[in-house]
Amino acid sequence: MTLHRVKWVSLALAFGMTSWCVAPARAALGGDAASVASDADALHGAIHTTPLQQYDIHEITADNGMRLREFQTRSGVVFAVVWSGPAMPDLQKLLGTSYQAYTTAVAAANHSGLKHPLRVATSDLVVESEGHMRAYSGRAYLPALIPAGMSAADLR
Amino acid sequence: MRITHLLVVLAPCLLCACIGGSNGTATSTVPPTPTVNTLAVVVDAGPAGVGAINRPYVTVKVCVPGSTTCANIDHVLVDTGSWGLRLVRSVLTAGGVTLTPSTDAQGQTIQECAAFSGGQTWGPVAPADVTLAGEVAAKVPVQVLDDTNTSPKPPSTSVCVTSGSVHNAVPELGANGILGVGVFAQDCGMACVNAAPALDNYYGCTAAGVCTAENIALAGQVTNPVALFAADNNGIIIDLPGLQNPNGDATVQGQILFGLATQTDNALPATGLTVLGADANGDFTATYNGGTTVLPALIDSGSDDYAFADPSMQPCPSTTQWVGYYCPPSGLQNVSAVNTGVGPHNATNTVQFAIADPNISFVATATAFINLGGGQGSTRFTWGMPFFYGRKVYIGIEKKTSGSLTGPFYAY
Repeated sequence: MTLHRVKWVSLALAFGMTSWCVAPARAALGGDAASVASDADALHGAIHTTPLQQYDIHEITADNGMRLREFQTRSGVVFAVVWSGPAMPDLQKLLGTSYQAYTTAVAAANHSGLKHPLRVATSDLVVESEGHMRAYSGRAYLPALIPAGMSAADLR
Repeated sequence: MRITHLLVVLAPCLLCACIGGSNGTATSTVPPTPTVNTLAVVVDAGPAGVGAINRPYVTVKVCVPGSTTCANIDHVLVDTGSWGLRLVRSVLTAGGVTLTPSTDAQGQTIQECAAFSGGQTWGPVAPADVTLAGEVAAKVPVQVLDDTNTSPKPPSTSVCVTSGSVHNAVPELGANGILGVGVFAQDCGMACVNAAPALDNYYGCTAAGVCTAENIALAGQVTNPVALFAADNNGIIIDLPGLQNPNGDATVQGQILFGLATQTDNALPATGLTVLGADANGDFTATYNGGTTVLPALIDSGSDDYAFADPSMQPCPSTTQWVGYYCPPSGLQNVSAVNTGVGPHNATNTVQFAIADPNISFVATATAFINLGGGQGSTRFTWGMPFFYGRKVYIGIEKKTSGSLTGPFYAY
């Protein structure tokens, strides 16, 4: 986790905590800034936004240890969500309009196992979930919306 | 007290060679006999119809607390990557055991959504008397997996609903239960004691079946039974032989020893032991194949493979039964990883291992494979079952001392 932070911290502009009080029930992935606020509200978390040249990173941290990082394009669309913490996040809320594609892919996967990392990878959607009790992590992203020059490996 | 244990244990413990010499008629003239601390482990195809590979199983005796209403549940998966015992309800029922759910201060039943890497289990938390070899954990909270769909349901926001990957039944689990005997005592720990809001883990459920996430004190959480033994409660050793055929053995038989440095059979070696301290998540660190990326790592008997990301290693074709694993075109690829402990036990040790193409190399009828890798896309390193073949692996439980060592740690 610490390692993942190194890169963006070094790039980050100094921005303070932003508090959000509007919480429309919109989902994160494929959603807009309001959906980030909605996720933060659900977690009772605070948002820390780091604007970069091609995208923004909204980091939501909650007192209960849950952490989300939502990547938003310059045009305002959340194209990736990265999570970690002592429990799993609400995948339906995080995946938004991609949720149906996720459940369809999970149902079709014949390699799903309790103790295998879960990985769904289609041309439109990638979801990876892993970890163990006390330490879960994962990410979901829309490959087509990753800004030019950025790779999936940067989504951490 | 120990003599009493011996008498209780002799009948069911047919596989325990360690009893040799005793005729089961202990009297006051016989010196105190150590608690039987060895439990047979078998790697085989699992419960009927499962076709398991690389799964270490034990038989667990579970009783309604304080009673003689007990069942011996076979094919329970030994999992050093989780904490606490979970048993499939229909298997318990078939064995004549019905466990009564724990309740919270409001009288609601306590249910759990327990998450693993690729799925979850759902069902009530219930106290049970659990016997492993001669060791007894009285009134240990276990999870009853709701394969009968008779328990209250998790709320719609729980990952036990949204993931689409709940594994409560025997065919999905590949086992009749999971025995989590890793480095912690409780499955969630302090994160579930005072979280605000409460995590998606423990739930209080009304008689009408409405469940709300809530915090649960440590003593009420699903607990590693080893930590509650009267003695031999500071850790375990998993001792499996190496494979006779590197391309797969039909079965492997070994044992778990309970306790570390508490009896003559579970001593810690004076030299040559690599001790890897674990962090608050239960992880040490690893770097893979000369790389510099430091990965959280653990030794996990519940995982069937070495799991790590190697973008240069070819995944198996999606059309084969080995989809999700690696199929290196060379047939056998030699790789390595460097483990480093966290905290006071900060040893560094390099482990060489190999990944084979299962479609080419593996014996079709075997259940134990050493050269099996997977984990594309992972940001962790998992030493799964292949790591255990031909090694003694030591697991030290948090806050407990074992000789000069203090848990949580892994050692080999």
